[in-house]
Amino acid sequence: MQNKLKNFFLNNWIGISVGLSLFILIFILPQFFVDNTSILMSIRGLIAGITVAYIIYKFIIFKKENPTFKPSESVLLVDIAGSLIAIVIGLLFGLILMLIVNPGQAFQGFSIIIIGGFNRGFKSFGDMIYFSVPLVLSGLSIAFAFKTGLFNIGATGQLTMGAFTAVFIGVKWGAIGELSPFLHWFVALFGAMIIGALWGAIPGFLKAYRNVNEVVTGIMLNYVAMYLNSLLIISYIYNRDYARALDIKDTAVTPLMNLQYLFPDSTSINGGIVVAVVVVIILHVILNKTTFGYELKAVGYNRDASKYAGMNAKRNIVYAMVISGASAGLAGGLMYLVAGKYLQPVNMLIPEGFTGIAISLLGLNTPFGTLIAGLFYGSLEQGGYYLQLLNFTPEIIDVIIAVIIYASALGLFLQKFVIRTLKKREMLVEQGLIDTEKEKQKNIEGSDK
Amino acid sequence: MSFADIIYFILPLVIASAVPLSLVALGGLFSERSGVVNIALEGIMIMGAFVGALTINYLELNTHLPIQLIAIIGLTIGAIIGVLFSLFHAFASINMKANQVISGTALNMFAPAFAIFTARIIFGTQRVPIENSYLMNIPILQDIPIIGDIFFKGAYISTFIGIIIFIIAVIVLYKTKQGLRLRSCGENPQAADSLGINIYKLRYVGVMVSGALAGMGGVIFVLSFSTNFNASVAGFGFLALAVLIFGNWNPKRIIMAALFFGFMRVISSTKAVIPFLNDLHLEDEIYLMLPYIATIIVLAFVSKNSAAPLAAGEPYDSGKR
Amino acid sequence: MEYIVEMLNITKEFPGIKANDNVTLQLKKGEIHALLGENGAGKSTLMSVLFGLYVPEKGIIKVRGEEVKIQNPNDANSYGIGMVHQHFKLVHNFTVVENIVLGYEDTKHGFLQFDDAIKKITELSNKYKLKVDPNQLISNISVGMQQRVEILKMLYRDAEILIFDEPTAVLTPQEIEELMLIMKDLTKEGKSVILITHKLQEIKQVSDRCSVLRKGKYIGTVDVKTTSVEKMAEMMVGRKVDFIIDKDVANPKDVVLEVENLSVYNHRLRKNVVTNVSFNIRGGEILCIAGIEGNGQTQLIEGITGLNPISNGKITINGIDISHSSVRQRNLAGISHIPEDRHKHGLVLDYSLEKNLILQTYFKELFQHKGFLKFNEIRINSDNLIERFDIRSSKGSVTSVRSMSGGNQQKVIVAREINRDTDLLIAVQPTRGLDVGAIEYIHKQLIAQRDAGKAILLISLELDEVMNVSDRIMVMYEGENVGEFDPAVVTENELGLYMAGSKRRDQ
Repeated sequence: MQNKLKNFFLNNWIGISVGLSLFILIFILPQFFVDNTSILMSIRGLIAGITVAYIIYKFIIFKKENPTFKPSESVLLVDIAGSLIAIVIGLLFGLILMLIVNPGQAFQGFSIIIIGGFNRGFKSFGDMIYFSVPLVLSGLSIAFAFKTGLFNIGATGQLTMGAFTAVFIGVKWGAIGELSPFLHWFVALFGAMIIGALWGAIPGFLKAYRNVNEVVTGIMLNYVAMYLNSLLIISYIYNRDYARALDIKDTAVTPLMNLQYLFPDSTSINGGIVVAVVVVIILHVILNKTTFGYELKAVGYNRDASKYAGMNAKRNIVYAMVISGASAGLAGGLMYLVAGKYLQPVNMLIPEGFTGIAISLLGLNTPFGTLIAGLFYGSLEQGGYYLQLLNFTPEIIDVIIAVIIYASALGLFLQKFVIRTLKKREMLVEQGLIDTEKEKQKNIEGSDK
Repeated sequence: MSFADIIYFILPLVIASAVPLSLVALGGLFSERSGVVNIALEGIMIMGAFVGALTINYLELNTHLPIQLIAIIGLTIGAIIGVLFSLFHAFASINMKANQVISGTALNMFAPAFAIFTARIIFGTQRVPIENSYLMNIPILQDIPIIGDIFFKGAYISTFIGIIIFIIAVIVLYKTKQGLRLRSCGENPQAADSLGINIYKLRYVGVMVSGALAGMGGVIFVLSFSTNFNASVAGFGFLALAVLIFGNWNPKRIIMAALFFGFMRVISSTKAVIPFLNDLHLEDEIYLMLPYIATIIVLAFVSKNSAAPLAAGEPYDSGKR
Repeated sequence: MEYIVEMLNITKEFPGIKANDNVTLQLKKGEIHALLGENGAGKSTLMSVLFGLYVPEKGIIKVRGEEVKIQNPNDANSYGIGMVHQHFKLVHNFTVVENIVLGYEDTKHGFLQFDDAIKKITELSNKYKLKVDPNQLISNISVGMQQRVEILKMLYRDAEILIFDEPTAVLTPQEIEELMLIMKDLTKEGKSVILITHKLQEIKQVSDRCSVLRKGKYIGTVDVKTTSVEKMAEMMVGRKVDFIIDKDVANPKDVVLEVENLSVYNHRLRKNVVTNVSFNIRGGEILCIAGIEGNGQTQLIEGITGLNPISNGKITINGIDISHSSVRQRNLAGISHIPEDRHKHGLVLDYSLEKNLILQTYFKELFQHKGFLKFNEIRINSDNLIERFDIRSSKGSVTSVRSMSGGNQQKVIVAREINRDTDLLIAVQPTRGLDVGAIEYIHKQLIAQRDAGKAILLISLELDEVMNVSDRIMVMYEGENVGEFDPAVVTENELGLYMAGSKRRDQ
C-alpha cells in the first residue's frame, strides 16, 4: 500500500504541487493579516514549504524509475478518485443550495466551509481535532466491520451504551479518582469500550449462529440502547434541575495530554485524539499484519474460500463485531468524558454513529483513510459552525455529508472499470505480449551491462 | 377510570399509531417484494411530512379551504414528494447497482438535515407550525353506539384515508397482474426475466410505491401527533421496518404487529391513568423498547423460516442469464 | 416442409472460446430429437441460442421454413418455442397456477382471474398426463411435479417446439419413466421435442434421431433405432490425439485413503446424491474418478474434504478416522485439495497472489510469529512458487488475483496445494481452462507426486486425461461406483458406456 500511495503522488506531481501551492497561497498566507503570532506562522509556512519541496523531489525520481505506470490500473487510485469525486459532488450540491437560498453570500459561505478548520488558525484547528475524534472512532468501527464483510449500522447503539457507561463511572466511581489522577478517566473509558464491545457482540452472534441480518439487529439495538440510556440516566445519574446527567468528576475528564501547548487558543482540544490515533494504529496492524486480520478479511471477502481453508467463519464474525463495537464504545466515551458536555435522556439517536458511515466510506474503509476522512469531516463541521455568522444554518453540512454518502455508493461501479482494465493487462501478459515485472528487471539489468 | 373508559381512551390512540406504521411497513413490503431493500423509510417519511406540513401551513394561513380538504391535499403532496425522493434510491439501487443499505442511509441522513435547513430559511426556526387541530367527528357514523364513540368521534381523516389506501395497496399487490409480476421480481428475477417480464420497470414501481406510502405515512404522523413538524418522525420509519419483519412480510401480520407496537407506544405515555399498569411501576422506556426487543427475539428464532423475498437486496444483472 | 426448426451453421463465441462452431441442427415435426455430447460440447449453448438467451455471431434460424431472428425469450415464445430448463425457473412461494400464468395472465376488470387458467391447465394436464395440483405452492410439491409445472408453462403458451435441458438429472427412476411417456405423448399430439442429454439409455428409449456435438463442433446426426449405443458413444467421445505420458509403472504402497459406504444426502432434492461408495487409494498411485458432470463427484469430494457433512459411511486417512472432523483437521491430517470451483473455494480474489499462496498455511510457524505475519517469508514462498510453476502475472507476488487469467489463477491453486506435500492430494478438474503446455506440466507434477509416494485422487471429465494420467479408474454414475478399471486394459468407448449408464459392473 505504501508503494501504491507513492505511485499515486509521484505520477501526479504536477497537479499536486500546483494544488498545494494554491492551498498555501489561499489559506495560509491571508492569516498573516489576522492576528496570530508571526513566529507560529513562519514555522507553519516553513514546514509546508519543506514538505512541498520534498514531495516534488520524490516525484521526479519516481517518474524516472517507472515510466510505464498507468493510473487506471491501480484500484487504490480509482477508489481515492471515487471518494474525491463524491466529496466534490457533495460540496457542489451544498453550493447550489446556498446559491438558491442566499445568492449574495453563497460563495463566501462556501469558502468558509472549505477552509473549515483553518478559519481561526490554530484555535479552530484544535477544535476541529476535538470534534473529529468521535467521528474517527465511529468510522473505524464501521470500517473494521466492512473489512470483514459486515455492515455495522448499530454503531450508534454501541456508542450510546459506551457513553452511558463512561458517564456512569465518571459520576459514581469517584473513589478511583483519589487513587491516581488518570486512573478514573482510564477506567471510565475502558468501561465504555467493554460495554460497546458487548453491545456489538449481539448482532455478531445473531449473524454468525442464526444467520440474522446484522443491519436489522443493529437498527433494533440502536433504539433499545437509546431508550435504555434514557431509562438508566433518570434512574441513576439524573440531574433534575437541568434535565441531564449529573456532572462527571473532574478526575474522569479526558486529560489534555499537553496538547494545549500545540493549540493554544483552542478551548476544546484534549487527549482524545491520542486515543483515536492509537486505535487507528492498532486496527491497522491487526488488519494488515496479523494472522487474525488475514482470517477476518478472508471471511469478509469470500466466506466459502475461508471455509475451504479451514477457518472458523462464525467465530471470526463475532470477533469482528466485538472489536467494531469496542471502537464505537470508545467514541461514545470520549464524546462525553468532557467537562460541560452532558448526556441527556432524550429519545433521539446520537448522529455520530451514522456520520461514521460516511467517514468510513470516504476513507475507503481503511484505518488511516478513516483518520483522514474524520479530520476532513471535522473541518467541514467547523466550517458549518462558523457559517452561522452569515445567516446560514449549519445543517447544510449534514446535507452535504448525506450527498457525499449517496455519491460514494454510486461510485462502486468505478471499481468494475478498473478491474476490466487490469484484466486486459493480464490477458496480454498471458499471451506473452507484455513483459512481467521479472522480465522487465532482467531487461533493465541486461541493458546495463 | 373504568375499564370501558380506558378502552375508549386508548383504542383510538392505538389505531392512530398503527395506521401510519402499517402503511409505511406496507411500503417497505412493496419495495422488498420487488427486490429492493429500502431502509430509507424514515427519511422518506420525514421528507413527505416536511413538505406536507409546509403545504398545510401555507394553505392554513393563505386560504380559506375547509380544513379537512387541506389535510387531504397535504396527504397527496406527501405521497408525491415521497415518490420523487425515493427515485434517488431507485436509481442508485437498480441502475447503478449500488449497495442498497448505503443508499438508504444516505437518504435517511439527508432528509432531516434538509428539513431543518429549509425550515430555518422559511420560518427562522426549524419547526413548521400547524395551526388547526384536525380532529373531526364523522357525521352519521358517530352516532352508532359504542363503536361510534370509539372510532368516529374525535378521529383524524388521515387515519381513515390511511386505512383505505392500505386496503387498496394490498389488493393491488396480491390480486392484480402487475402485483403478481412485481412479487416474482423479488423472489426469482431469473424466472421472471425468462418469461419476458421487465425487472427494471417493476422494481422502480416497487420503490416508488414505497416512497408514496412512506411519504403519506409521514403526513399522517404529523397530523395525528403534533401541532408542528420538528424534522423528526420519532423513529417511526425504523419502527415500521420492525413491523415489516415482525409481521413476516405478510399484510395481515403487519397489521397485528402494528397494533401491538402502537399499543406499546401508547401505554408508555398513558400508563399513569391505567391503574393496573401504574402498579407495575415500569418506566416508559421499557414499553418503548419492547417492540424492538421482541423483533430481535423473533428474528433469532425464525430466521430460517423468514418469508423475506429471496432476491431482495441483490441487484439484478441481466447479463448473467 | 419437412423441418419445423432449422439451425444452420450456427457459430457462438465467448471470449476465448468457440462454444458452437458451425453447428447445424434440423428438427422434424413430431419427432423427439436428442442432442448428445459431453460437458462443454456446446449443447446448452446451442439451445440457449434457439430460446433467445444468446444471439449467435454467425448462422441463421428457420422456423417452419422461414428465417427468423430470436433476440429474447419472448420472441422464441411467439414462434412457439419453449424451454424446460435444467435448473427450474419457478417462484417458490407462488402456486402452480401462478407460476404457469406468470407473464401471460388473464384479468377481469383489472383483477387476476385464475378460473379459465385452471380449466386450461386441467385440460392440458389430462391430455398429456402431466399430473399437477394447481393450487399447491411450489415449495410443497415434489421435484417431479415441479418439472411438470415447467412443461405446462410451455404448453400453456401453445408451444409447439419443446426443448428439454438434461431433464432427468434431478428425477428418481420412476419419475424418469413417467417423463419418457410424457414426451412420447407430446409428439403423438404433434409437438416436436429436442432432448439435451448425455444419457444413452434414455436416447435409445425415446428418441427418433440424435445429433452429436463434440467440443463445439457438429459431428453428425443418426437414426437412433438403427444405431448402436457403442457407435453413439464413439461419436460423443471421439478419437483424439493422445498425449502419451512418459511414466513408470506405479508402485503403490500402503493404503492412504479409505472410503467405506459413503453416502451424502441432499435435503433439497430429497435423495442421496452419493450412495454407498467405497474405494481406497494407496500411496504412490493415482485413482481417477471418471464420469459426466453431475453424477455425484462434487458431493463425494465435499464429503471427503469436509465441506459438506456425510450422512453415512467412514473416511480414514492413514488409519485415522476423519469422517466427522473439521476441514482444518482434515487438512492437517494430510489432505490437499485443488477444488472444482476456483473462484468459490480456491481463491480469495481480492487478496494478492502471495496472500493466496498461504491460504492453507498462514498459521504455520514458517509464516507467522506470535500472530504476526512474516512478510519476508511469505514473499520468498511466493516468488519461489511463481518460478517453479511458471505463474504469469504482470506484477508478480503483489498482483491482485482477481485480474489474473483463469489459467494462471488455476496455477496458483495447483502450486499451493502441491507444495503442501501432503499424503493425499485431491485434484478436481485441475487442468480445466489451461493451455496445452500448462496441462502437460500439471500432469508431470501429478506423476512426480505419485512417484514420491503420495496418493492422488483425480476427478476428471476429460477422457484422455483419465486414460493417460491415472493408474486406476473408477466410474461414477448417478452417485454410485459403477466399476473400477485398469486404463491399460479398458477402452475409451467402453468407459463412455459406463459413464452414460449403459453398463455397470456388479461388485
